[in-house]
Amino acid sequence: MAHEARSAALRELFAPLVGALGYKFTPDQELADFLLEQEAVLEETKGAPYCPCQVRTHRREHDMTIVCPCIPYHRAHFDAMRRCWCGLFVHRDVTDPGDLPQIAASELGIEG
Amino acid sequence: MTDSWIKVADEGAVADGGLLAVYPCGLGLLLVKAGGTVYAVANRCAHMACPLEAGACDGFVITCPCHDWRFDVRTGAFVEAPEISIPTYPVRVAGGEVFVEL
Amino acid sequence: MNDPVFVYALSTCPWCRKAKQYFEENDVVFEAVDVDLLADDESDRLADEAFTLSGSRAYPVVKIGAEVIVGYAPERYAQLLGIAT
Ligand code: SF4
Ligand code: FES
Repeated sequence: MAHEARSAALRELFAPLVGALGYKFTPDQELADFLLEQEAVLEETKGAPYCPCQVRTHRREHDMTIVCPCIPYHRAHFDAMRRCWCGLFVHRDVTDPGDLPQIAASELGIEG
Repeated sequence: MTDSWIKVADEGAVADGGLLAVYPCGLGLLLVKAGGTVYAVANRCAHMACPLEAGACDGFVITCPCHDWRFDVRTGAFVEAPEISIPTYPVRVAGGEVFVEL
Repeated sequence: MNDPVFVYALSTCPWCRKAKQYFEENDVVFEAVDVDLLADDESDRLADEAFTLSGSRAYPVVKIGAEVIVGYAPERYAQLLGIAT
């Protein structure tokens, strides 16, 4: 991985934050490595570790709500799925992330 | 005042709604004057450690310049998720000087 | 020939890749665009188009005929395309 050092640093920065929110890194190591590398690249090229799975609008009010970890801005939605949209984080008690599908916020009756 | 109170600034150096970075004992703190009261918080964002001094202050809320995380200077709480916070420090103003307890 | 399938994707998103892979593996004719790889104006235009359809900034956004599905949801894709699961 080209951005190994920065990926590892992001992991260290995010772990206590998501822990306080009741989440943890997914046990799916391959997925976590892939997503963190994407974030490291986005940070380098676009200026922030933006979400790899949400689109930027180039409007600051929106784009700042999809900087990782974006859980605080999408809490009801992620709490209902027990994972974040990308699946980088899962609820602290989740052991098999493979069981957790992506469900659109609108389908859960939640404001995206 | 006991020894743990350290003078960090003259009161006039922090304007209302203003921010001032201070470094007592090498510790990066931020003084914020809001509603006529001076508050002291860590000058380090809980998100990715950006210095908060270049941020904006609106009422009791400071916004990090890096990715706009917002903190209440009275409690240090991240407005969107109060489980996350930045450290706060007790402040006294006496004789026109600002003291912080470390 | 299946209903027209269009995938609004991001090059950085593993679930977008999985969606495309699903259609490939099931011989579904589809079109896809990585919205983040377009120039800013074009990217914003496509992102707004996907948002108008889906109300979502979370990807993938998949259009199958007149239906719009947000997220990687192989069972839903299969159901809409009449693929046996
Ligand atoms: S959805 Fe997950 S990986 Fe994406 S920004 Fe939010 S917390 Fe990070
Ligand atoms: S470092 Fe402060 S909001 Fe990201």
